[in-house]
Amino acid sequence: MLEDYANLFIKSIFIENMVFAYFLGMCSYLAISKTLKNGVGMGFAVIFVLTITVPLNYLIYEYLLVDGALKWLGPEYAKLDLSFLSLIMFIAVIASMVQLVEMIVEKFSPALYGSLGIFLPLIAVNCAILGGSLFMQIKDFSGISEAAVYGFGSGVGWFLAIVAIAAIREKIAYSNVPAPLKGLGITFIITGLMALGFMSFMGIKL
Amino acid sequence: MRLRNYKINKKKSKNKPLFLFIGKNSEPLFSKKNKKLLSDPLDDNNPITVQVLGICSALAITVQLKPAIVMTMSVIFVMACSNVIISILRNLIPNRIRIIVFLVVISSLVALVDQFLKAYAYDVSKELSIFIGLIVTNCIVMGRLEAFALGNDVWKSFLDGIGNAFGYGVILILVAFFRELLGSGNLMGFQVIPDFIYDMGYENNGLMLLSPMALITVGIIIWIQRSRNNKLIEEG
Amino acid sequence: MDRNSNFYTFLFVGVMIVGIASILAYTSQTLKPMQDENVKNEKMQNILSTVGINVSRDEAEKFYKKYIIEELALTIDGSINNTISPFSDLNLAKELKKDYKDQHFPLYIADIDSEKYYIIELRGTGLWDAIWGYISLKSDFNTVNGVSFDHKGETAGLGAEITKDWFKESFINEKVFNDDGKLVGITVLKGNNDPTNSDKDDHEVDAISGSTITGDGVTNMIIERLNNYLPYIKKFEIAQL
Repeated sequence: MLEDYANLFIKSIFIENMVFAYFLGMCSYLAISKTLKNGVGMGFAVIFVLTITVPLNYLIYEYLLVDGALKWLGPEYAKLDLSFLSLIMFIAVIASMVQLVEMIVEKFSPALYGSLGIFLPLIAVNCAILGGSLFMQIKDFSGISEAAVYGFGSGVGWFLAIVAIAAIREKIAYSNVPAPLKGLGITFIITGLMALGFMSFMGIKL
Repeated sequence: MRLRNYKINKKKSKNKPLFLFIGKNSEPLFSKKNKKLLSDPLDDNNPITVQVLGICSALAITVQLKPAIVMTMSVIFVMACSNVIISILRNLIPNRIRIIVFLVVISSLVALVDQFLKAYAYDVSKELSIFIGLIVTNCIVMGRLEAFALGNDVWKSFLDGIGNAFGYGVILILVAFFRELLGSGNLMGFQVIPDFIYDMGYENNGLMLLSPMALITVGIIIWIQRSRNNKLIEEG
Repeated sequence: MDRNSNFYTFLFVGVMIVGIASILAYTSQTLKPMQDENVKNEKMQNILSTVGINVSRDEAEKFYKKYIIEELALTIDGSINNTISPFSDLNLAKELKKDYKDQHFPLYIADIDSEKYYIIELRGTGLWDAIWGYISLKSDFNTVNGVSFDHKGETAGLGAEITKDWFKESFINEKVFNDDGKLVGITVLKGNNDPTNSDKDDHEVDAISGSTITGDGVTNMIIERLNNYLPYIKKFEIAQL
């Protein structure tokens, strides 16, 4: 059992890395990776929100939306299939959770808010967050703990990616890059090379 | 860098009539300015290579040409419709909840596209799987709503939506073209590299099919575009 | 009206929700039958393709009714559970999560020109995600008549090639039992000495280059699933004697 979780965790960090395997969350990944400090802040915010929203959306999907999910209301509801609403529900949950988390953090930990606060609103439109929930939907997890592990793992994977690229970008500022390739172009190519490196994790099983 | 492009077009249009395209002081439908709305995003202001928006959902489906084209068409539909809807409603939307309203409008349009694809183009919808859903968080759509549709009339917003979606699609299709051609020797699923070239010892480059090559291809496209167009080069 | 008042905000949200929900519910209701039909026809199409009948998706139902004479839901001890319809009630993805003794195993029997074929549903894991398919055995329960595979997210051009004809055709006439009567399945292996796949008694087919793990997934899926049908096959053979 524990082995399954460990497996899922490793898989979601390295093999199915949100950035390197699925290109999710690339917009914020490119925009906020100019300095290491910002990269770390954004990375933590993504871990935080993914760990909350994936299991939450799992519950909503499993007990409200999927075909036959409303059984618990009574047999006459068992035939209802509300899965066409899942996209809207997921995005609504994400947007409101982000808002809620922002308010809670601001209230109870102003220091954390200072460093994390500006990144939270950006997260509602980070594809990695919605992607996490959508992957959860097609992955047939057997329980909420699996969904939570997956959410946390994907967040950590994203964190790794942004911290790595931010560190590289800080160094590359001193390198002699061809002018047309400066900034965006070289970042794309480096990300590609990093993704190639991450491909060597493929097939790892614990 | 992102925000720079947003704000330029934000004019005050608070007290104009609701449907401007039947308005009185109307300029011709395809005036020079309107044409620019269409053509700018194709090159100078390309959503992917210049504005850096919407890369998330773009690259994973560029292994083959066909899903890339379907994706482009879906994005064109979603962007044109959402731009028009938000532009119509722009004087009605309460400012405080506008982001949520955008999200709801976009995600319902995407849900519609998804339903239609599942019913009428089942094979393609299987290939695109979750990436159709990810149009919701495609930053181009949100970005154009906030930057343009909220402050411009319906016809202009429509053109802006189409233009930006095309600009996005051009890159998508370009990347998919090279990846499919070099990676599997096909285009749209048909073999285009003739057999005798294979007989002479040519091999498909399997690396092109792997995800990292999508990033590197985009990087190269950016490189080419910026060496042609020097004003896009970044400082530092 | 003041656009920033709470009342206006709530009113706007209310109208928006009702409007959008009804549009979505309406389209979903109208398109649902077609979507279900697509899924169902695709399944029939896949089942039929393993017995060499390749039809378009629209015609799948007609031919399915013509050729598939029995649909059985088996239990682990090889008996038949008549209360369950394997085609519509059994979802292998859900079954696989259960304990073996609670699972049901679908078996479809086709009759083509009075020759019987037994079609077994497969499901396993490839490199990225689930892979599944069907394998049909001739009436000796040993020779493979045909296979069909599909996948959720294997790499296009590499692992996804398992859906291609050349790969599926290499399974035809392979044997799943060895000479001692032990179930060995079929191994997808690169670099066996038989790239043209002419040796049909080696229980091996040639793998797709660059997709070892997807190939291993196919190997494992075939042996794991077939293993569960052994009790039924035993019973069947005893009945034949």
